Amino acid sequence: MRNSIAERIADFLKDFPPFNKLSYDDLLRIASDIRVVTLDKNQTLFKINDTLHDSFYVVGSGVVNLTVIADAEENLLNKCVPGDIFGLRPFFARNNYMMTAKAREDSIVYAIPIAAFRPFVAQNSAVLDFLLESFATNSRNPADKEVRGKLISDTHITTEPQPEMQFFQSLSYNKSPLTASTATLVKDIASKMTEHLSDCAIVTQGEIPLGILTDADLRSKIATGRFPVTIAVDRVMAAPVISVPENVSLAEAQLLLLKNNVTHLVVTVDGSDKSPLKGVISQHDLIAAQANNPGILIKEIKRSQHPRELKNVREKMAELIRSSLSKNIPMPHVANIASEINMGIIKRSVEIAILDLGSPPARFTWLAIGSQGRKEQLLLTDQDSMLVFEDVAAEKHKEVKDYFVRLAKRTVAVLEKVGYPPCPNGHIASNIVWCRSISDWVKQYQSWMTTPGEKSNEISPVFFDFELAFGESKLEEALLDVVYSNARRNSFFDYLGNDALRKPPPLSFFKKFNVEEEGEHRNKFDIKLKGIMPLVDGARLLALGQNLRGITNTYMRFKQLAMLEPKFSETYLSCAEAFLTLSKYRALEGMKYDSDGRYVNLEELSKIDKEKLKAALEPMRELEEIIKDKFRLTQFS
Amino acid sequence: MFDWIKHINKEYPEFWKKYLSKFDHRSKRFITLNLEISGNDPQKDVIFSFGGIGVFNNAIVVGDSFEVIIPQYKYLHDNGLDNEFIIESKQDKLSENQAIEAFVNYIGNAVLVGHRIHHDVDLINEALEKLGCGRLKNEALDIEIMHRKLNDITDRQFSLDELAQFYKIPSADRMTAIDDAYIMALLFLKLKSRLGIN
Repeated sequence: MRNSIAERIADFLKDFPPFNKLSYDDLLRIASDIRVVTLDKNQTLFKINDTLHDSFYVVGSGVVNLTVIADAEENLLNKCVPGDIFGLRPFFARNNYMMTAKAREDSIVYAIPIAAFRPFVAQNSAVLDFLLESFATNSRNPADKEVRGKLISDTHITTEPQPEMQFFQSLSYNKSPLTASTATLVKDIASKMTEHLSDCAIVTQGEIPLGILTDADLRSKIATGRFPVTIAVDRVMAAPVISVPENVSLAEAQLLLLKNNVTHLVVTVDGSDKSPLKGVISQHDLIAAQANNPGILIKEIKRSQHPRELKNVREKMAELIRSSLSKNIPMPHVANIASEINMGIIKRSVEIAILDLGSPPARFTWLAIGSQGRKEQLLLTDQDSMLVFEDVAAEKHKEVKDYFVRLAKRTVAVLEKVGYPPCPNGHIASNIVWCRSISDWVKQYQSWMTTPGEKSNEISPVFFDFELAFGESKLEEALLDVVYSNARRNSFFDYLGNDALRKPPPLSFFKKFNVEEEGEHRNKFDIKLKGIMPLVDGARLLALGQNLRGITNTYMRFKQLAMLEPKFSETYLSCAEAFLTLSKYRALEGMKYDSDGRYVNLEELSKIDKEKLKAALEPMRELEEIIKDKFRLTQFS
Repeated sequence: MFDWIKHINKEYPEFWKKYLSKFDHRSKRFITLNLEISGNDPQKDVIFSFGGIGVFNNAIVVGDSFEVIIPQYKYLHDNGLDNEFIIESKQDKLSENQAIEAFVNYIGNAVLVGHRIHHDVDLINEALEKLGCGRLKNEALDIEIMHRKLNDITDRQFSLDELAQFYKIPSADRMTAIDDAYIMALLFLKLKSRLGIN
């Protein structure tokens, strides 16, 4: 008899490995043996040390967290999203589960009985390989995700990548190094290396590596003039190469580099230099394997050729922020690092777009605006940006603008792939309204500031916090000049001031949190609108009023204001602190739920945290008074 | 009240005797049942299709499903309705008698679960009577009533869509009777764990 539900499930599975390697008929047969289980939020499917179930699991909808307990603390190993496989242990091992699977939200999982699936594994070696690899995988490095596809290992015992453990993990390295034959000219190799952003080339005969040419060789042998650039490579290459087998560990590789005083190791099939070439390990690979270090992330960004690689960096950064927050590293530092990395990613995205489209016909600058412009972006938030290009002759204007709009679209698409959704209000450079020549922008700013609220009700204050991401700093300077020369006008301050004060109060008369009353986020506290935004708006307004140029960060603005106006310094300093506290709670919330952290679930906060949060909302009232007083805001202005 | 007198000493069809013999022990198997029917009047209305899926040990057993269409030629003809889509569809089709027999064989002594299930049971009983059988003996649970009981609501009715939304069940791809039965099964799993039914 026909079974529509089995068909539905087979249709779902066929998109995910390893099921995509099976025929549809096989999938149907497997699907009809499946049992479907619903999990409520926070319900546990299996715990550490539970006896093995007779099936493994595929997430159908929702999210399942895999955790282990280390030092009496629950550590998240992996989040399984629809299509992910977990609980493979019963396939290969007899002992009990080594991890806990718990639903993070209401979820549906498909339990596939091992007995029903095993015959298909035996018939199809690709499926077996996939499962084995999945089971054996032992790394938390987000970069491995694409290698593994969509599989979730369950062999983890420890979560924290412990330094000593790390030294024995195997390295990921460049598996398709640049190669050249012995007769190639050094000049040609050097230009190839530049093109591929590679710091070495392997000289081979057939597949056997004979020698290696590195940046250092070029420096010491060619640039010094000892050999001409037109010499054949076999005269200057370093030979023989230091070779290692595949799956060499980090520690071994490091020892070999030090012992032989070289910068690169050549990977061959059997580890001798008489067997075919498999890849090359550079010092960079060693460093990259060791840490999620901000400097290295920036370096990786610069080497990225593809949005996918940028995405890896972005994910590593999330890890970095998470660990920084849990280690109580001061917020300004964390924010700084995060914004540097974000800026790096934006910059590289523009570069990738330029590489695609050819060089720009005029000078331009890509400005990050909004939270990124203020360097306050910790989480994955949306992208806000604008593009300014220099004035060109009127007849060329259309053509030039066309190019920049295309460039912006491209960049925005790259960033979207990295994981930044575009601004819901359309404040992105790919919108033709926000991609203009400098004189158009000057006019725009002037009209915003002289007649605010007249033409359009929406002058979005995000346009007053901008930061250079890519391009000419002169264009940015020009815009700043316009903003600050016009900032003396009262009507503009009236407008911004009223805008800043219009936010709903965070605490009720009885000092209770004003939580959302309805909708999806019922009973949660909107920390962005009711906590962070008033401080940001206030800081912007006061900074413009004081002519504080070049500082866009809210924290720094308050600090500077405190110095300039000793009368209010106490309020400003407490606002600065409050801003950090609120950002931290938002970041923590965002990390926990993989969201932008805008809505904080108060029920999950401890009493102390709630009090801290309330204390951080206190200085806002004083700030409002200062603003009202300073700019003489009336009800009707 | 004297129904049983009518049936006394009556020879039942073979499949029905077998069905009755299954009730010596209580079943742990649940079946969520969804019928597509022409209306709620057991005398006049007819069943168009059956969709049923089994629930055992807190999991939906995908292999334990039942879906059959009954092309109700007579009913459709009498009411001047178009029945092309039913005849054209690729689903399994049986005549009403065969379908009822297959259905009775399928459910056995399982507990039936449905949304406003009394309508469904009434219609099935009507069809059974035509075959000279008795009434269904299965226990029946109604997810709407379960939901109302769980939340102490007495004055509101809940459609299947509302329930699915309430329990955050993704309800895409709803085409045939069995798709609704599947959603009911997911709902039932949720309600079951909350109400502590085994």
